[in-house]
Amino acid sequence: MPAAMATAESDSRLIERVGRGDREAFEQLYRRFARPVFAMALRQLGDNGRAEDAAQETFAAVWRSAKSYKAERGTASAWLYAVARHAIIDRARQKRENVAEVPDEADSRAGPAERAEESWLTWRVHSALELLPERERVVIELAYWSGLSQTEIASYLDVPLGTVKTRTRTGLGRLSTLLEEVRT
Amino acid sequence: MSETPDFRDLVGDDLTPEEELELARVDSLLRSVPGPATEVPGSLTQRVERIGTATPLWTRRRVVLAVALAAALAALFFGVGRGFDQGFDARASVQMAPGTSAPGASGRIQLGNRDPETGNWRIQLTVDGLPHLGGNNYYVLWLSKDGHYAGACGTFDVSGRTTVDMTASYDLSEYDYWVISEAKDNAPWLLTAETS
Repeated sequence: MPAAMATAESDSRLIERVGRGDREAFEQLYRRFARPVFAMALRQLGDNGRAEDAAQETFAAVWRSAKSYKAERGTASAWLYAVARHAIIDRARQKRENVAEVPDEADSRAGPAERAEESWLTWRVHSALELLPERERVVIELAYWSGLSQTEIASYLDVPLGTVKTRTRTGLGRLSTLLEEVRT
Repeated sequence: MSETPDFRDLVGDDLTPEEELELARVDSLLRSVPGPATEVPGSLTQRVERIGTATPLWTRRRVVLAVALAAALAALFFGVGRGFDQGFDARASVQMAPGTSAPGASGRIQLGNRDPETGNWRIQLTVDGLPHLGGNNYYVLWLSKDGHYAGACGTFDVSGRTTVDMTASYDLSEYDYWVISEAKDNAPWLLTAETS
């Protein structure tokens, strides 16, 4: 718990430092959130070029408006999500395509509110994944989204099967704590 | 390739009930969301690296370079240039538009021939409506790219309507705007014109 809390505080502190023009903090924030931002943009906009534009605009907006971030009003992750969402909506509107709210994905099963919740959930999960040690993040991503079995992952990473299971378990435990923090 | 492995396959079966509950909740969350982006494109990282880095137009180094360039220009025009050049053969002319900080100012850039040996463009700049600065202050004509400083063409001060000769060795098609501002950090753009 303390480790996760420290990490969550660190996001806020990073944004506050960015608000003071701290370039190093900006780069750290980028490394931490680039994948979730780009993934969300790619899912909503559908092509790499526009997703890149939206992601760039997101970080440009973060640089410009980090001063306005107030930790007491919400989590850093939620603030960044809102910034990214606006950038993606703007990009979608510029092309006069997908003018609807951003968490719109081609999914006939869910309504707009449910889809918005899905988008936020995806963001939270992927933002939390970025905070895991690399070796744990990799085994979890392979386990859940590559379709590889644990044995295949062990072979792919060239580590013993027991190591894969330990890393998966430790990573899931860490994620549990991180996602608990994000929820508050 | 197979489906996502069973929860027990992933974590083993020696968990306490509390641990199992906690990890099962995360397992369920992970199964409910799509996978992450493969990798962040390097081009995005390069673009983001530029954010916030080019804002200060006039660092100490740039001012020094601009002064050195001005000195070189002065030597060129007053030392050698006058010996063989009494006229200016303009091949293109562009009117500069005033910015909000200098609404009454006007400017015109005439572009001469490009020296085939050196690659230098000859430039004649005429400005009007800018105040005399004096002291150690001066204006600079520079080129911008993507909204930021990209190269100096020369420095000058004015007294009423003023015409100055300058030179630039740049490939002008690489730049977006001609800009005149005071040579200091974060100075507003006083006059601008598109390069093409």
